[in-house]
Amino acid sequence: MSVPKRLFKIFGPIILVAILLLAVLLSPFSFGLNHVSKTTEKKAAVSLSPNVLKGRLVKRQALDDGYVPFFGSSEWSRFDPMHPSVLADKYQRNYRPFLLGARGTQSLTQYFVMQSVKKQLTNKKAVFVISPQWFVPHGTRKDAFAYYYSPLQTTDWLQTEQNTEMDRYAAKRLLEMPSGSSDKVLANALTRVAAGLKPTSSQRAYINYKARMLGSEDEFFSKFGISGKNLGKVDHAESQLPANYNYANLDKLAGNIGKQQTTSNSLEISNTFWKTQLRRNYKHLKNSQTKLDYTKSPEFSDFQLVLNQFAKNHTDVMFVIPPINQKWANYTGLSMPMIAQFDKKIRYQLASQGFNNVIDLSEDGDQDYFMTDTIHLGWRGWLAVDQQLNPFLSKKSMTKPQYHLNDEFYTKRWQQLNPKNLKAFEQQ
Amino acid sequence: MMSFDPYGNPTYFILLFIALLPLMIGLLYGHRSHIYESIISFVFLLLTFGGPKWKTGIALIIYLVYQICLVWLYSKYRQRADSANKGWVFVVSVILAIIPLAVVKITPAVAHGASSIIGFLGISYLTFKVVQTIMETRDGVIKEFHPILFGQFLLFFPTISSGPIDRYRRFVKDYDSVPTRAKYLDLMEKGVRYIFLGFLYKFLLAYIFGTVMLPTVEHAALQAHGISWALLGVMYTYSMDLFFDFAGYSLFAVGVSYLMGVETPMNFNQPFKSKNIKDFWNRWHMTLSFWFRDFIYMRLVFFMMKHKWFKSRITTANVAYVINMLIMGFWHGETWYYIVYGLFHGFAMVINDSWLRYKKKHQAQIPHNKFTEYFAIFLTFNVVCFSFLIFSGFLNTLWFVPRH
Repeated sequence: MSVPKRLFKIFGPIILVAILLLAVLLSPFSFGLNHVSKTTEKKAAVSLSPNVLKGRLVKRQALDDGYVPFFGSSEWSRFDPMHPSVLADKYQRNYRPFLLGARGTQSLTQYFVMQSVKKQLTNKKAVFVISPQWFVPHGTRKDAFAYYYSPLQTTDWLQTEQNTEMDRYAAKRLLEMPSGSSDKVLANALTRVAAGLKPTSSQRAYINYKARMLGSEDEFFSKFGISGKNLGKVDHAESQLPANYNYANLDKLAGNIGKQQTTSNSLEISNTFWKTQLRRNYKHLKNSQTKLDYTKSPEFSDFQLVLNQFAKNHTDVMFVIPPINQKWANYTGLSMPMIAQFDKKIRYQLASQGFNNVIDLSEDGDQDYFMTDTIHLGWRGWLAVDQQLNPFLSKKSMTKPQYHLNDEFYTKRWQQLNPKNLKAFEQQ
Repeated sequence: MMSFDPYGNPTYFILLFIALLPLMIGLLYGHRSHIYESIISFVFLLLTFGGPKWKTGIALIIYLVYQICLVWLYSKYRQRADSANKGWVFVVSVILAIIPLAVVKITPAVAHGASSIIGFLGISYLTFKVVQTIMETRDGVIKEFHPILFGQFLLFFPTISSGPIDRYRRFVKDYDSVPTRAKYLDLMEKGVRYIFLGFLYKFLLAYIFGTVMLPTVEHAALQAHGISWALLGVMYTYSMDLFFDFAGYSLFAVGVSYLMGVETPMNFNQPFKSKNIKDFWNRWHMTLSFWFRDFIYMRLVFFMMKHKWFKSRITTANVAYVINMLIMGFWHGETWYYIVYGLFHGFAMVINDSWLRYKKKHQAQIPHNKFTEYFAIFLTFNVVCFSFLIFSGFLNTLWFVPRH
């Protein structure tokens, strides 16, 4: 073989690949790759996959197609027949939940998730479940935050930040997480934002370049690897429901299913959860929660970020505050007065800023089969939520929400405020 | 200023290709310019050790001057016609060569994870090259010492950050000659193939295992606490990530060396097909394990035999295995999991050897067929993956690191 021929054999394929790759990446066409099918949307809405949470395209398309964002955490994975996704599908409601959140997602993660769907939130409705368990003294866990961290959402946010108190606080919080410094240039830009400065022009250029690259990566890949497992669970749960919606009948059914599935223990905790999570450690857990305190936490300010974003987008939000299984709380010694204090504090943060749609179930933990396990809603609990959620989502609201935000909620003082001193805080 | 991790992103490869192009044309026409090679080496070293990492660049320069002086002095001593070749001079030289690495490895253990200011990317691989040159000088295999060539051997940029660990004499032979055109075309073909196989390993497979899957299984294992199925997932996923990441990197280093007309030795040879632990170490991170075999294990065995430490040869070999692997463990870093990893492999070698002896004695009774071979591969694979789970440090995170 002649030398040029040999050289062509060695390098020809590389040159060809390079040309093709450049053509695909630089071309203005997306080759139909940004199409998200209705089936993908349906799967993604209940998949709870981290890649859906971290991505952008699938969420945007689904919310544009009428899905309603349901922000929350681990409760979404309890797919029993009264789960909001199941009820909405079975009874052909005019809304479908898009579940956002899984074990370990808290306010800060949700705030960044919101960044990728700001337009889709504007003048729309949303649901947000507040778990009291988020409000521990250290706030969100760094490893959990890292797990759900999305550089795409960070660049989306940086491209629109306007150096308000919200932006400065978000930048500061992000820098406290290892994820925030995973990219040196972004970390430097964040430091400037946190200090009240604009990112430099070269940082801006980098942010825009990064945003475009992550954006096309999202377009190319975000539809893949969405598990359809939960859709199967939803279908199975639907098959247990009667054809017609009747609250009294459903409530009875929910109680019966709950009774059937909690036979292994005296705490009315589902058999699966009991077997896999609790039985082994049950003995050690007696009186293990007497010292838990949810009333002082950086989470209160992280949560303010969420409220701030909702207000900016004029989103009409229904908040849900789930209870704690009373039998479980009694066993572990969790203080109910403390929970009441937490409830008072969070309700103040909501109400004083005009967030008036709250399904507060914090006192319902003693109802039978209300909780599927220790802290997660199930059966009758889900149905109770549905009683208020359905009218809220199905009917057009008559009035626009009026929010008046207070930046004091970003202060250490608020985070650490004893709910007993709310009056003093109010007068300032 | 720009700064790159070697082989870290497409820009690095594009710059690399542009820089290598004149060199490749030169080699094709039978010319090799050490001056041009030195210039591109300098540029790529600057990209790796410059910019925000300039402090490590300074550390590298000081380290280099120190080691070249050390080896030079030892060669001068050793290559005199009437050299006394005293053992203590040799031992002191080796210790002096290892001291910088020892400081870098011990600092994080005593200073709460802080890294030493004299450290830089690749210091352990340079130390291997230095120690090996001193030892071969002592043996009298290296008869001449050229400080410049030695410096170029140490700084050969395709392999500087993580090997493969070449040998001085082998390197100099390639570096000081020009391959024939036919031979160089073969090298180019192989080099390009290795680099592209490296892309598959590092940017696709290691990405899938390390970036996509590993966080998911680790998250699940952390949530589950203690022993769980997810932990088993961590074990296999981490092992795959470790292999494809490192083997991919090694393929880049070897491929780029080939394009420069230097046949840097391969580092991996399908390690997961190993039939036993010994076989595994002949296929996994080969340049490192051969280095340990030649410069630690063999020398330990000779030393112990010479001083008659043990009567039995088997005991001698076993003790040498454990010490050898333990040193490898310490070399990885001063944490309990690296040390346990070393001990684990040391004892695995001991058990492996005694099984092979037993098998040889009872050849008639022990079946040997396709099935037993597959079983051996399966068993070895799982033993190795388990050792990587120890090595990963994930157990440390799972058991001992507070969650906040």
